[in-house]
Amino acid sequence: MDYINAKSAPAREDRLKASIAFGGTCGELKNCIKSGCFSKTGCLNLANRRFSQTQGCQFTLSLSILNTLRNAVVIMHSPIGCGVCSIGNVGVNKTFKQLRDPNAEGIIWLSTNLDEVDVISGGEHKLREAVLFADREFRPETIIVANGCVPALIGDDIDSILADLETQTAATIVPVHCEGFKTKVMATAYDAVYHGILKKYIKKPERRQYTIEPDLEKLKEQYRISRNVNVFNVSSMSRQDELELQRLLNAIGLNVTFIPCYAEPEDFEYSLESSLNISICGTHDDYFLKIIKEKYEIPFLIDTMPIGRKNTDRWILKISEYFGLEKEARQLIDLENRLLDESLEPFRKALSGKRAYISGGEVRIIATAEILQDLGMKVVGLKAHHLDQFIEPVFDALDEIDDVLISAATNQPFEQSNIMNRLKPDVIITHTGGNNITAKHGLPVLPLFGPSYNYMGYSGTYEVARRLNRILRNYQFNKKLSQNTRLPFKKEWYEKDPFYYIKNES
Amino acid sequence: MSKFIDRPRYACALGGALSTLRAIPCAIPIIHASTGCGHNLHNAINPGAGYLGGGYCGGLALPSSNVSERDVVFGGENRLREQIASTMEIMDGELYIVLTGCMVEMIGDDLDAVVSEFADCDKPVIAVHTPSFRGNSFTGYELVLCSLIQKYITRQTNKDPSLVNVLGIVPAQDVFWKGNLREIKRLLERLGLKVNTFFGESETLEDIKNSGRASLNIVVSDVYGIDAAEKFKDIHGIPYITTGFPIGADATKEFLFVIADALGIEESLAESAYESERQVYYDYMERLSDIYNDLDLQRYAVVVGDSNYAPAISRFLSDELGWLPELVVITDSLEAAQQNELAKRFENFESGLKPSVRFDTDTSSVKKYIAEIWPRNRNERYFNFMNPTVIIGSVYERDLAAEFGFPLLTVSYPVTNRVVLNRAYAGTNGALSFTEDLLGILVAGR
Repeated sequence: MDYINAKSAPAREDRLKASIAFGGTCGELKNCIKSGCFSKTGCLNLANRRFSQTQGCQFTLSLSILNTLRNAVVIMHSPIGCGVCSIGNVGVNKTFKQLRDPNAEGIIWLSTNLDEVDVISGGEHKLREAVLFADREFRPETIIVANGCVPALIGDDIDSILADLETQTAATIVPVHCEGFKTKVMATAYDAVYHGILKKYIKKPERRQYTIEPDLEKLKEQYRISRNVNVFNVSSMSRQDELELQRLLNAIGLNVTFIPCYAEPEDFEYSLESSLNISICGTHDDYFLKIIKEKYEIPFLIDTMPIGRKNTDRWILKISEYFGLEKEARQLIDLENRLLDESLEPFRKALSGKRAYISGGEVRIIATAEILQDLGMKVVGLKAHHLDQFIEPVFDALDEIDDVLISAATNQPFEQSNIMNRLKPDVIITHTGGNNITAKHGLPVLPLFGPSYNYMGYSGTYEVARRLNRILRNYQFNKKLSQNTRLPFKKEWYEKDPFYYIKNES
Repeated sequence: MSKFIDRPRYACALGGALSTLRAIPCAIPIIHASTGCGHNLHNAINPGAGYLGGGYCGGLALPSSNVSERDVVFGGENRLREQIASTMEIMDGELYIVLTGCMVEMIGDDLDAVVSEFADCDKPVIAVHTPSFRGNSFTGYELVLCSLIQKYITRQTNKDPSLVNVLGIVPAQDVFWKGNLREIKRLLERLGLKVNTFFGESETLEDIKNSGRASLNIVVSDVYGIDAAEKFKDIHGIPYITTGFPIGADATKEFLFVIADALGIEESLAESAYESERQVYYDYMERLSDIYNDLDLQRYAVVVGDSNYAPAISRFLSDELGWLPELVVITDSLEAAQQNELAKRFENFESGLKPSVRFDTDTSSVKKYIAEIWPRNRNERYFNFMNPTVIIGSVYERDLAAEFGFPLLTVSYPVTNRVVLNRAYAGTNGALSFTEDLLGILVAGR
């Protein structure tokens, strides 16, 4: 695997044989995985749709991480529209950054505003102007240049231009190649961003060197590193989530650094003085963690996502095994479970037997399903943005899941609408976006994630239970909407199989 | 030649086209573009326009061909053909509009040829070329309207002398578009007119189709909607006038008289319409006579906004509210001739004030202009500072407002810190709402 010397990260449909169009049961999917569907000959890989609705591309998803990086200016090297979605983050982004650093600035971004002339003659001139302006005007530590489809197609040699510009700027310049048309799998964005981070942010920190190193200092340093771990956060998590995970790992004697979201450039340097890199979601981090292991020999853990009791137990145990801290971990897990289990009782009474449909990122939906089963609810359907090998370990925490419907679709509310019409769940737990359709089914909706709510760890399980209970108590808003507005799909669509439009492109 | 932009306050042509179609009931957009275009633009339009939402079939429900590398190599026409056919199978609409993104235009897909294959369908399918590199949201609005004018609106030789169309308010880019259209329509109805606003309350595709019968197009903007009005003139022989965007009683009066004059309506009708507006308006304004003078609610103002709002608000603040708009930054990307036209709107304020007017697309520039027009105190004991000031701008001005300690009212796109439904800032009713919101900030702590 020599990805890092390449200009950009490979698409996930090639690297992981990921699928964005699938419909079947969890049992079928598990068999599919066993028989090598995510291998070279994989059957899931090339499927697509004859009818499709808009979905995120790797550019927009890349911004969800890039916009969180502190002391950085982002340049959208593209026509004026690309990355304008950052408008939605102007306010919250600053608030969230300030939870980590009270003096942090909000998002600053520039668009190179490529026009018809640039499409013919190249966008180099505007890129140069924008980079120099950003450096002079805002004095950021880093300038991130995210390029869209157009410069890729007109063949701007962005890396050379930026390498040359870097000699004139105080800021480090980080190219991120995330043109939307390069991949059908939105999650390739994580690789694109990490690719840029690896090239520019990751380097050993400059520490004072002892002329003669005293043994005690050396031991202290070694001990410190032996207890440091990095937890790879995601932009959809909240500060409360981080504090909960930190609390749990501190409790077994580990020090935690969170990267990449909301980190400062130097956090990435210190992250190399660490003994384990811990992912909370395989969809996000495998590309980065594998390369760091190869280059810096830091082991990594990609297993389950710490959402739900069993998943959190498993996550903590797996981590503790690296450090011989299993005994401490088991003590913690017992204590936490005892407390939480009692606290969930009243919600179990209210929620037991309710039927739920969950859609969103593959790892997150399966992990969240565990909370629902814990509450005595029944998971009746799942929809993942895409499917790949990282879904496998998360299934372990679920009971009686094999007959449950699972599909792969990045957004595609038309399919979801058809499925909901068949399954008639009592509650929907869903990724943001597309709720103009979902709401009109007249059901209570809980967001699958929310950067200002706690979902992770034991406290997150309680919060999800509490919120589900609250949302189910009154969903008149969606009910009234369903009575007074209409869905845009023709009647005939609901008579067809929800996967009617899936086609194989091989 | 255009330059880079520091935090643009508009999306691309495709974005403008999508927000325009978002405002037309039962019009189904079909995006022929890269995977992320629709999603990205929805995530700008929705929050930026005070949480407009996806509506009937917008947002992530937008049909999109989602072309990827393979289509870029082999051409995306087959994919488009498939997508149009399947969209008509599944999406329940009255009009299907195919919009393009950059990639498919660059690889040379023949949009018009593919769309012409659907000419015999029972519902019309119309093609509009909207690549991002062709212009911004305002361009997208013009492009969609021009296509409708050319390909959808029925040509009619018999004009209805009392029917007019309103252009120049761009849905979503004008965050208060729907309320504003309602108010403009209400004012025009006072002159006995029937009004198409294309995107107004209870208006339908049928109204759009029949807008060719109108005898005048009223462009309530010096910049937006003029291409569409020209197109109307060419294709349907409907003349147009531009009036500027009216906020306040003075501007409303001028608006009513200009329209009456253009249509040969008796001046007395305009006079009586204005008179009853004025009475209601000042009945409300009179309430403020105490608090305004008790507390000295006069303020300096910095106005940052688009070509419609910036002049209209500045004039209202200056000539009706008695404030001091010292600096106005117009944030659109404009030609020199358009800038000159807009600059005229700041001449001859009744108050005699002459705000410093700047044309600049960069968000970071506003602060520099404040420093230019009103130098900072350099430790002088007595110093006439521009304070108290209120900034009327967009959410981008929040950091600036915080830095100076000035209150901020967000009016111009993007407005992510407010939820906007049927509120209007145009006309007399709009000016009352604007005053409520503005002075509301000043008494919020009481």
